[in-house]
Amino acid sequence: MSHSTNRAESPPTEPLLAVKGLRKQYEASAFSSAGKEVLRGVDFQVQPTETVGIVGLSGAGKSTIGRLVAGLERPDGGEILYSGQSIGRLRGARRRQAASGIEMIFQDPYESLSPRMRIADLVAEPLRIRKKYRGNRAGLEQAVRTALANVSLPPERYMARYPHELSGGERQRVGLARAFVDPPRLVIADEPTSMLDSSLRLELLALMDRLRRDSGTATMLITHDLALAYRFCDRLLVLSDGEIVESGTPAQVIEQPAHPFTLRLVQALREFHP
Amino acid sequence: MKLGTLGGTGRAGMMGRIGLFLLGAMILFALLGPLLIPHDPMERTGAPLAAPGDGHLLGTNDIGQDILAELAAGARVSLTIGLAGAAASMTIGVLVGVLAGYRGGWTDTLLMRAVDVSLTLPFLPLMILLGVFLGPSMSTQILVIAILMWAKVARELRSQILSIRTRGPVQSARAMGAGDGYILRKHILPMTLPLLIPQFIQAVTASILMESSLSFLGLGDPLAKSWGSILFYANARSAFLTDAWIWWVVPPGLCIVWTVLGCSFIGYWLEEKASPRLKSYAAPAERGARGWFRSRPSRTAASAAKAGETLRIDGLTVEYPKPDAQESVAALRGIELVVKPGEIVGIVGESGSGKTTLAAAIMQMLKHPAESAGSIRFAGEELTELSDRELRAIRGHRMALVPQAAMNALNPVWTVRKQLTEAITCHRKLSRAEMEKRIGTLLEQVGIESRCLQAYPHELSGGMKQRVVIAMALVNEPAFVIADEPTTGLDVLVQAEIVALLQRLQQQLGISMIFISHDLPVVKRIADRIVILERGAVVDEGDPEQLSRHSTHPYTRKLMDAIPSIGRLEQPLERPRPAQPTPSPEPLHAAAGR
Repeated sequence: MSHSTNRAESPPTEPLLAVKGLRKQYEASAFSSAGKEVLRGVDFQVQPTETVGIVGLSGAGKSTIGRLVAGLERPDGGEILYSGQSIGRLRGARRRQAASGIEMIFQDPYESLSPRMRIADLVAEPLRIRKKYRGNRAGLEQAVRTALANVSLPPERYMARYPHELSGGERQRVGLARAFVDPPRLVIADEPTSMLDSSLRLELLALMDRLRRDSGTATMLITHDLALAYRFCDRLLVLSDGEIVESGTPAQVIEQPAHPFTLRLVQALREFHP
Repeated sequence: MKLGTLGGTGRAGMMGRIGLFLLGAMILFALLGPLLIPHDPMERTGAPLAAPGDGHLLGTNDIGQDILAELAAGARVSLTIGLAGAAASMTIGVLVGVLAGYRGGWTDTLLMRAVDVSLTLPFLPLMILLGVFLGPSMSTQILVIAILMWAKVARELRSQILSIRTRGPVQSARAMGAGDGYILRKHILPMTLPLLIPQFIQAVTASILMESSLSFLGLGDPLAKSWGSILFYANARSAFLTDAWIWWVVPPGLCIVWTVLGCSFIGYWLEEKASPRLKSYAAPAERGARGWFRSRPSRTAASAAKAGETLRIDGLTVEYPKPDAQESVAALRGIELVVKPGEIVGIVGESGSGKTTLAAAIMQMLKHPAESAGSIRFAGEELTELSDRELRAIRGHRMALVPQAAMNALNPVWTVRKQLTEAITCHRKLSRAEMEKRIGTLLEQVGIESRCLQAYPHELSGGMKQRVVIAMALVNEPAFVIADEPTTGLDVLVQAEIVALLQRLQQQLGISMIFISHDLPVVKRIADRIVILERGAVVDEGDPEQLSRHSTHPYTRKLMDAIPSIGRLEQPLERPRPAQPTPSPEPLHAAAGR
């Protein structure tokens, strides 16, 4: 399936995330009798501190992988092993415990932040949900300040503001601060830059890259933008019609695409990036 | 500039103030009235049917009870039942709505069928039946009101929650591991509250009216005075046979009107506040599409378009007045732009740079309340001075727009054939055979198979829909096309196809084109000349190659440098690769393609 045998794919350590035969099918609707199979047996691994890019066209099932790993949906088949533990079907408190350290960054910075909460509360939300710093307001505030400062938003200027007072780029930084405030082990970034102006995209990804390196976090970068993934990932997975058709280092995928689909993708990319 | 101030916020705010005054005065009357009025409403304190005058400001009824005192006592009862009935129905409605919307599945199905049943119950007979069955009393009235009104609340709340449930804040909280309690408390309730408050006020209004009706039908508490029961007795004891109805019937009626009007005004105001989107529709102003366009004759005379220019824009400024303030927001500032025949001009800018406003200004389709000035000459004609009729003859005929988000520009209930036919018949009559031929040509031009003619938009992919929209722009063989973000939202494979299509069409048909996009790599690929817009002004201009290599303008540079390069790895990545697993990739120069 892939031609990634020419390099050390799995170091001796256990993978942080191992996805095996993952399937997802959306329910049959009134219009189509058969349910649509979005994922048709997906296998991949994410090593600790590795950045894996998942690229593909819209409808390929990229976001579904992210949502399944983040626990927003439940798989119809296959397994999701996180630190060796199967988390795909857990719910409630057990899931919260087993999946601790998985964070998600959403696509739409305008929509994912509650307009009724101040920036400080938004950043503190993951800590509050996990009942950390309970009864320790000073500690909570300090954590929020550090998280905001880490994404270059001066805490004293931003903590009391509301999302609508921020630009798209600033909001996505708040999204990053939220993901990194409670030191994560795996960050799932679903198209984190697609709603941003192009001049901000590289900047935001560079920031995310710095944060994940500083905290030694593994990342799944889900994107349609092969050029961005090429630039920021250690390994790329090319997804087409619910299957991984190619995987390898960015250089391998771009320069020697093995699968015809990848070849088409790369050729289209070169149209615009001569 | 004064246009915006009339409507929206101001009017609603005024209604809110009037409503608060009306309701506040009534509440004050209910609280203080019984203390200040020296008569007991239940006692005979004067002559029967005494006209208003000394001692009895509003006169007395047939057994000599003071009407003003009755009204004050009635205000207490009516307002209490109004509030209690509204509170009871809201409580049931919110519980059912939240449960159905949040839990979904079987809970939802069952509860919603109950709502459906409840909504189809005939309101008046049920009210009478329940009133008779349970016996007249205040709690009966509250119960009847609650039973009749909870379903509407539940249904509206459920649909709200269904949509809130899938929104970003809820999804991200769930991804952080939040439980149901947290999500309901922190996200769902705060987001529905602005909708619940106006609903509550509506419920108060409705239950005051219902209370009056119930009491008027004799189903109220016989021992408590309410406005409805005053009316009931007045009617039953033939107030209308004498002049007494003027002081016996009119005042309680006015009290009901007063209170309901107060509540409605407050409700209207709160609704406006909760959904500010209504505001933009509040000031429709009956002017035509371009009544506020001030052209500057001096300027237009000076810039007589040179022959051989498809489009010449001089000093185009578009401003959006702010609703409250005196100053206005400039969307475009002094734009100068020329499009030559057969040229593709790319307009690049980030969000808010005024790209789409520019397209709308050229098409003379600016939205209210935009104000614009300057000159736009199309093939020598000053567009800003044309009448609506003359413009319609140009729009879609000699000059066409491929609108932004083309996927939504198609009518979902029309087949592709119908969409195209419609676009053609807007401008000319063709016989059946000619129409078929024209459609055939169009399909061939944009590369759609003829079997797609029978398809509805939802059956087509994004790229196909975009082709249909391009075909619609081309139906009347325009000389000039504005394509607004035609590749946005499409996959890179499809983007390449659409760009190739537009290029081919431009060559075959010799049209001039403005290609608007935020996506610089795409524009670089297609445009003969690029114009860079930043905050409503043209900051840089040139052919793609020259701009990307030699421009020194900081904004242009920023945009150019933001294009992630592939296959040019000799430019160092600022990011050190982690030691683990990847070896640094070998540099490689343009392995494939160009």
